Formats: sequence, structure tokens, C-alpha cells
Amino acid sequence: MSILFLDFMLRALLAAFLTGLAAPAVGTYLVQRRLALLGDGIGHVAVTGVAIGLLTGASPTLTAIVVAIIGGVLIELIRQQGRSSGDVALALLFYGGIAGGILVTGLAGVGAAGLQAFLFGSIATISWADVWVTVGLVAIVVVLALGLAPQLFAVAQDEEFARVAGLNTRLYNIVVSVLAAVTVTVAMRTVGLLLVSALMIIPVATAQQLTRSFRATLVSAMGLGTVAAVGGLVVSALAPAQVNVAPGATIVLVSLAGFVLAWPVGVWTRRRRRLATPFVDPVLPPNEGDPHLDGRHTVVPESHEHHHGADCGHQAVPHGDHVDYVHEGHRHAAHGSHYDEH
Amino acid sequence: MPVNDPTTVVQVRDGAVSLGGRPVLRRIDLSIAPGEVLAVLGANGSGKSTLVRAITGLAPLSHGEVLLFDTPVSRFRDWKRVGFVPQRATAASGVPASVWEVVAAGRLSHRAPFRPMRAGDRAAVAAAIAAVGLTDRSREGVSTLSGGQQQRVLIARAIAGEPDLLILDEPTAGIDRQSQESLAETLRLATTRGVTIVLVTHELGPLAGLIGRTVVMRDGQVTYDGPPTSTDHADLDPGHHHHLPGAGADYAPVVTAPIGGAGRPMGGRHLR
Repeated sequence: MSILFLDFMLRALLAAFLTGLAAPAVGTYLVQRRLALLGDGIGHVAVTGVAIGLLTGASPTLTAIVVAIIGGVLIELIRQQGRSSGDVALALLFYGGIAGGILVTGLAGVGAAGLQAFLFGSIATISWADVWVTVGLVAIVVVLALGLAPQLFAVAQDEEFARVAGLNTRLYNIVVSVLAAVTVTVAMRTVGLLLVSALMIIPVATAQQLTRSFRATLVSAMGLGTVAAVGGLVVSALAPAQVNVAPGATIVLVSLAGFVLAWPVGVWTRRRRRLATPFVDPVLPPNEGDPHLDGRHTVVPESHEHHHGADCGHQAVPHGDHVDYVHEGHRHAAHGSHYDEH
Repeated sequence: MPVNDPTTVVQVRDGAVSLGGRPVLRRIDLSIAPGEVLAVLGANGSGKSTLVRAITGLAPLSHGEVLLFDTPVSRFRDWKRVGFVPQRATAASGVPASVWEVVAAGRLSHRAPFRPMRAGDRAAVAAAIAAVGLTDRSREGVSTLSGGQQQRVLIARAIAGEPDLLILDEPTAGIDRQSQESLAETLRLATTRGVTIVLVTHELGPLAGLIGRTVVMRDGQVTYDGPPTSTDHADLDPGHHHHLPGAGADYAPVVTAPIGGAGRPMGGRHLR
């Protein structure tokens, strides 16, 4: 256990915690806009940024953040312009980003090994300067993602409504893209560019198995993200010394394990909610009158010994002015002396 | 309604809209006075949705101008006076959202970024949810509601902003009768407060009693503008299809009992 208290481990834990906090905060908006793969796209573009850093001798983090922001804004502008061809344009950018990265790294004479630290993460080599940069960037991301939550939520939820509410939807969409780019660069050192998006998306996917509101999803995804990032790092640190367990991989796998645990619970609660959805009578032209005479309503022919009630264990579902009970494919309600099939 | 009334809520002067170079709205002249309840009728593709998109500034004009509260729409900033219900099959998105959260978005036209909601905002959200009869569902996820209830959520979101002008694009498309009647009641309440209503629909249904004026669109032009007539429906293209994308999903699936069916003896008992 003593490894956990080494200085480098402390830095790594701090970096993992911050990454786990920021990534799902942005990821929630990406999932809401059904752009779950945007983080991957920006990650690919950031490879070129890292390569430019390696070539020019500038800080790869700095060049990566600049190129990732340019890429993120470009992706958003392409999305706003094109309608159906948007995903193809995005794909072109992804491929361009990673191909450019490989080419430029070759020019820099570093070879693929130089890129590896960024592709798969190198959390153990993080310096205190890196940690402070991470603290600053994560603070910006979290403040914007939470502070602008009502606006970002509205824009992602219904862009046309948001525009008519006077929100600058184009600006807010670009804000999300820039936040995603910053997050990708922050997480680059922790989980690596190839797995960045996992930490943005999986905690959100896990959280929404169990949540009903946006706020709860956002907050619990951030909680799950930190648990996965710190937990995954600890798992990799405690692995036997003779095997090389990459922290990026364990972080993502711990996160996925959380999803695997939450998913059956989500399936079960969704099923329960669907069963409890009130029955609504179909729209009938007004002259057809009472919806109860629509022909689908028949008296239950069997004698019904059992009396349905609030605690009889059968699914009770509101239906108009009464309650139906569902069991064994029936759906019926007490009507005077008998049960009516609905 | 006097045409030279200096204060109009909406004014379209010789408006035209082209989408990708193709004219979809032509020679539109429309003036809507405060408190009017106007229905825009027409077949699918007649340009009625484009008309409200032009009025809200979502579809830029290729010719002419649109004034909202006597301000050109491109310079209009007082969006809290406008409530909009876009044409949508669902109020849900990729992440769960509660009814309250979706309706609370209707207050954003009153709020600056980084400012928390005030008590007045919360009261308006609660009132809007109550107006559409969903108070007991306000903490639930919108995706668990029926299509009609989701439509009511979108209407609550628009009225939460306490607008002077309410624009609704096909709010009754594919929703159950209970929700249609709830919508009619909500709009009736709004009209008593003097709200101007522009309603796009191809079927008035329970809303017919509210409408004071109808505009009928055909082929991107206004072909009728005046009091509602009994021929409103005859003017629609008989070939139009109803927007019922959620018709199947709107209602809980019909439970077919294995013992149900017309041929079975009913033991002489009555059908209620």
C-alpha cells in the first residue's frame, strides 16, 4: 500500500480525480446532443497537436490544447452548416487528425514511441507543474459546465426553442465544443487520447440508468467519473510489479464495470415505469362519443374471485377516471359487481 | 382590426422565404393585433410552418420584413415576450430530464447566465406545470410521459416565460383527446390574460371555439384571411396526411387478452 503515498502517486491521484470530475461534466452535454463520439473526434485531432509540439519543441500539452480547440470549433461549424453530410465531414477530420499526427511525429524524428505516452496516457510521469495546469483547466471546465448548465441544457435539449428564447445557440454550442477540447487535453495525460472519450461518456451512460433528471445525471456522472478514475488508478498501482497494468485501461474498465452493474437495474426500473404508464383512450372524432364504447371494452367472462386493490400485488395503472389492474395479459377494472376488460 | 393600427404584435410585409433557392413562402402580408387568436391552416407543405419560423426569426426572409412588437425581427431582443412551441414529436433528449427541468428552460429568456432562479421564476414554472395538469408528474422524466403529455410539457415551457405572444406549431399533432382538451383549456386561460396566440394546425378539433381568425395557406401563399368558416377543412388538400408519428407510441400498447374477442359469449352482461 505504501506506493499510494509516494509523491508521484499523489500527483497521479490528484490528476485522476480532476479528470474524472471534468470529463463527465462535459460528456453529459455531448450525450444529450447525441454527439457521444465528439470526444473521440477531438482526441484524434489532438494527436496532430501533440505531434506539432514534439516537432517544434513546444509543450505538447499547449499545442494539443490549441489544435484541439481549433478542431472542436471546426467540427461544430461543420455540424451547424451541413445537415446530412455532417458525420462524414466529422470522419474526414478524425482521419486527418490522426494521419497528420503520425506524419508530423515522423518528421520530428520521435517515432510512434514518442506519441505513445499521449495515446495511452502516462499518469505516473505527471509533474507538479502539470498538476497545477490541470487544476486550472478543470476549474474552468467545471465552473462553465455547472454555471451555464441551464443555458447549455436548453440549447442541447431543443435548439429552436432556445433560439426563440433569445439564447445565442451558436455560441453555446461552440462553448461545449471548446470545453470538450480542453477536457480531452486534460485527460490526455491520465487515460490517453484514445480512451479520453470513454471517461466522458461511460459515467453518463451509467448515471442515466438510474436518474430521472438532468441535474441528477450530471452530478452523479461526475461522482462516478471520479470514483472510476481514482479507483482505476489504485487498481493499476496495486497490481503485481512484474506485470505492466496501464492506468488508462484500468480506469476505463472500472468505469465500464460500473455500467455493467447499473444496466440491469436501469432495465428493471424502466420496465416498471412502462408498466405503470397510464392508459390513454385513443383519439376519436367527437361524434363517436364515449371512448368507453369503442368496442375494445368487454366484461371479463370469467368469474373473478380475486379482488384487486392497492396492495394485491398486481400492477395498478391509472386509466381515465379509474384504475386498471394488469395481470397475466389482462387489463381490467372493477365495474359494479363485475370486472371489465379494458 | 384596423390595418393602420400602430401597435401590432406581428407584422409581415411582403414577406418571402426561400430554402436553398426554392421559394417556399411568397408575398405574405399579415398583421396581428394584440389579443388576437389566429389559426394558420393548410395542408402539409403549404408553408404554414415556414410562416411561423419566419415570424420567430428561425427562417430568414429573402424579401420583405417581419416586425415583432414593432421591431424588425433581426433586431428584436425582447424574447421574453414570445413563447414558442416548436413542432416536435417528443420533449426528450439524449439524457434524462424531468418535467420541471424542461419547463424551467422557459424562464431562460428572463434570466442572465450564472444567475440562479429567483422565487418568481420558480412560481412561474410551477404555475405553468399546473396549467397543463402535470403537477403530480413534475419530478418525473419526460421520456416516461405519453406523447400528449410531452406536448403539454412543451406548452408549459412556452407559457412559463409569461409571454405576450404565444406561437404554437402543430401542438395537437398526434396527441390524445384528453391532452387536446387540456391544451384548449390552457390556451383559453391565456387569452383571458390578453395573450396573442398564433396556432399552426391542420385540424382545429377542440380548439375551434377559441379561434377568432384563420389564415389559410396554400402553395406558400395566403389564400384566405378572415373569420373562421365552416369550409376551413374543405380548403385543405384532401390528400394531406396526418402527422401521427407517435400514433402508435402515444398510447400505452393495447393489451390483448387471450380470452377477449368478439365471438365469445358474454353471459348476457351489458357492454358499459
